This record gives sequence, C-alpha cells and structure tokens, in this order.
Amino acid sequence: MHHSIELKDVYVRLGHVSVLEGVDIEAKPYEFISVVGANGAGKTTLLKVVNGTLRPFKGQVSVLGHDLFQFKNLDFLRRDIGLVPQKSNSNRFPILVEEAVLIGRYGKIGFMQRPKEVDWDKAYEAMKIAGISQFSKKLVHELSGGERQKVALARALAQEPSILLLDEPTTYLDSKSQSEIMETIHTIHHQRGLTTLLVSHDSRLVEQYSDKIYLLKEGKGYLIK
Amino acid sequence: MSWVQTLNFPFMQHALIAIFFAGIAFPIIGVFVLSLNLIPLRFAMMHVALLGGAIGLFLKVDPLLSGLLFCILSSMALGPISEKMKLGVGILSGYFMTLTLALAFILIYKADIHVLQAFNILWGNILSLSGLDLLFVIGISLIILSIVILFFKEIQAILYDREIALAVGLPEKFFYYLIIFMLGLTIAVSMRLIGALLIDAFVLLPAMAATLISRSLKQTFFFSSLFGLLSGMAGLYFSFVFDIPTSSTIILVASLIIAGCFLFRRGGIPS
Ligand SMILES: Nc1ncnc2c1ncn2[C@@H]1O[C@H](COP(=O)(O)OP(=O)(O)OP(=O)(O)O)[C@@H](O)[C@H]1O
Ligand SMILES: [Mg+2]
Repeated sequence: MHHSIELKDVYVRLGHVSVLEGVDIEAKPYEFISVVGANGAGKTTLLKVVNGTLRPFKGQVSVLGHDLFQFKNLDFLRRDIGLVPQKSNSNRFPILVEEAVLIGRYGKIGFMQRPKEVDWDKAYEAMKIAGISQFSKKLVHELSGGERQKVALARALAQEPSILLLDEPTTYLDSKSQSEIMETIHTIHHQRGLTTLLVSHDSRLVEQYSDKIYLLKEGKGYLIK
Repeated sequence: MSWVQTLNFPFMQHALIAIFFAGIAFPIIGVFVLSLNLIPLRFAMMHVALLGGAIGLFLKVDPLLSGLLFCILSSMALGPISEKMKLGVGILSGYFMTLTLALAFILIYKADIHVLQAFNILWGNILSLSGLDLLFVIGISLIILSIVILFFKEIQAILYDREIALAVGLPEKFFYYLIIFMLGLTIAVSMRLIGALLIDAFVLLPAMAATLISRSLKQTFFFSSLFGLLSGMAGLYFSFVFDIPTSSTIILVASLIIAGCFLFRRGGIPS
C-alpha cells in the first residue's frame, strides 16, 4: 500500500536560508500526524512541500503514491489535498462566506462548468461542520480572524480531499473554540477516512489527537510520539 | 450644430461604438487591477505602450500597432520574469517603467518627432479613430467579456486569493498570466482612445466606484461596466456641449460617480 505522505531526506532553501535539512516524515493512510516546532522552524514550508507549491532541491516527496518530482503540473494532486493556510487573506475582496467555501469545489467542477446543486450542498454541509452556517450570507472581510479560519476549514472540507493539511488551525481561536475545532477536525478525520497533517507550535494542544508527533528543529524532523 | 446632428459623422459614430465597448469591457480589467494589486504593473504597462508608440513614430509605422505589440510582448514576459527572478511584479514594474520612459524620451528627441504627434500618444484622440482602431477595441472587449463569463469561477478564486486558488487545484498561474496579458492589451488600446495618461478613466475609475458599493464579484463587474459606459457616454456628450476635451470630461464624470458611490458606500475598496 502506498504511504499517503512520505518525505525522505528533504532539503529546502529559501533565499540564503536553509530551512529544511534532511527531513524524514511519514504519514500512513488514515493517520493523524502532527508536526510541532518553534516560530520559523519550517512548519509552513513543510506543508508547501507536501502540496507541491515548493520544490525541495534534494530529497524525495511522495504524496498519495505519486512522486512529486515526476510531474510538472500538480493540479490534479492538489484537488485531493485540502489546505487550511496559516494566514487568512485580509483584503476586502467582496465575497460571501458561502461563496468562499464553495471555492473548495472549484478544482473538481471542471473547466467552464458552473457549480451545481451538489456542490452547494457540500459547501453548506462543510459550513455546518465548521460551525459557520449563521455567517453564510456575510462578507468574509466582515468576519473576525477566528471566524475566517473556520471559513478556511470549511473550504478544505467542502473539497472532500483525501489529505487534510492544517497550518496552525487554531491561532486566532479562543481556548474554548480551540478544543472545539480540534474535536471537530478529529471527528471529521475519522468519519471521512482522511490522512491529516497538522502543524502547530503548541504540542499540548495536539497531543491527544495525534497518532504520531514530529518535532521540527534546526531543519530536521524528530519523532517524539 | 446640435448634438444629434454630430451623430451623422463617421468619426462620431466610431467614437460612440468605441466608448460603448470599452466602457463595458475595460473596467472589468480595472477590477482585476484593484483586486490583485496590479496598480504598479498597469503603470509600467502604460509606459511600455508609450515606448511602443514612440518606436512606431520613429519607424514611421502606426504607433497604435507598435504600442500594441510592445504591450503584448511585455505583458507576456512580465509574469514569468517576476516569477523566475523571485521579485514582486511591483518592483519589476518600477524598473520597466523608468527604463521604458527614458527610452521613449530618447526616441522622441532623436527622431525629431513633432511635439503634437508625441502629445497624441499621451492624450489619444477618441474622435479620430480609424476602422482598424475600432476593430481592436471591439475585438479586445469581446475577448475580455467572454473570458470573464466562461471562467468566472477561476477568476473569482484568483482575485479572492491566489494561494487558495492554487491550493484547490485550479490552474492559477495560467489565469494570472492571462489577466496580465489582457491588462497589456487593454492599456495598449486605451492609449489610442484616451491616451496613455488618462487610461484610468476607463480602466480604474469605474472599477473603484463599483467596489465601493458591491457585495459580490458579479455586482462589482456589473457596476463597473455600468459606470464605465455611463461616464464614457456622458463624457462624450458633455465634451460637445461645453466644448472641452473628451478624455478629461470622461474622467470628470467618472470621478463624480466615485464621489457619489463613496456617499452610498456599503462594501469597501479591496486594499
Ligand atoms: N520567501 C522566503 N524567503 C526567505 N526565507 C523565508 C521565506 N519564507 C520563509 N522564510 C524563512 O524560512 C524559515 C521557516 O519559515 P516557515 O514559515 O516555514 O516557519 P514556521 O515554522 O511556519 O513559523 P511560524 O510558526 O511563525 O508560522 C523562517 O526562518 C523564515 O524566515
Ligand atoms: Mg507557519
């Protein structure tokens, strides 16, 4: 069976900074993996490597059985990877929450096709899971940082991916919502049979949900659980 | 001579048709520019178009054609080059802008181009459009409109957030370059309509007004086209009635619309 995510001896340099220096990380299908590390440890960089937006200069990356170096265009793979980015977009672009969530469907809808009833249904279901149904007709830029983070989660869920990548999904949340959203993510992870890779600076928060935890430090990954 | 009588002249008909198409289609490019922060880029393109025009005058070919050619070439190159050099499009644009402006001035000086001719590139003249000019305006307008209609969801995702568009598996780069390319075309053609300096009358001002009052991208597109058409037509009309330059009149009307929208604002300007 193909490992869902496998990084072997991965090296990434950004400008003159060497960010990853021989990282080995592995997530088997249906596993919930967390990567913890201090600010600047390279967590966001690691996720970019996994969804193919950043190409390492050395090492092997295989995702869902595909060797990323074999492909020039990775759009087909990204459609199967849900990403909840760390930074939520702060521009004032006019878009309703429901439309912003529907974007998760866009990669799957196909060229020159419009979203169909089922796409809207999936967007609405995802909003319900993320707990933002009541905001559906609000503009995204009218939401708070935490609410926007839930929009990003809903979008990733609406996408119905096999792999879920979460970049500090609880940064803007209060402590009650933090554990709520972690519970939600964990439940969805099991219900949908996802492979989940979560990165966070907070090892205590992810402890109880993770099958494995890696510590990212000085460019290397250490298995600590 | 009354306003209605002037409509019998071909130059007036040309102007009306051009304003109709450009007024509807070009502000859509303005929405792209505002949402993607392409203001420095469109500034650079204006100067590239200017250089192209100057080269045209120098080589004694149609400055519209050479301006168009330059814009096409540079708009195809700018996206990928900034990607390769890992520089923001903004920084690269500043470089392009000053360089092309310097070259344009050298050419205009060396070629001993008549001041009025050079002035024509800067100001354009909507009342002296040839059939070919008109064809360009209509063609490019139709291309812009059909791309927006056919690829609305891709464009919406990219204008909202390029990173997310990429992450959900859309061909983000392709559409981003396509947008830059359309921007180049639009600027080259608007140069002929209202001149390099006043391009924003059609491209940016109606879009700015629309973003002030819209709550969705569809509304933004709709209002920017409406305002573009309105300011174009009203500008042409008032310029005749009061005998003032058309381009400037269009800008004045567009500015008034922005002021009006500001008073009625519900949404916000993309920042
Ligand atoms: N475009 C870039 N050019 C140069 N260096 C970069 C770039 N992006 C990130 N870096 C550097 O790479 C290192 C890792 O960045 P990364 O964003 O992956 O850290 P992180 O672990 O996600 O941090 P945080 O907890 O703050 O989100 C940092 O030292 C950062 O300064
Ligand atoms: Mg980070």
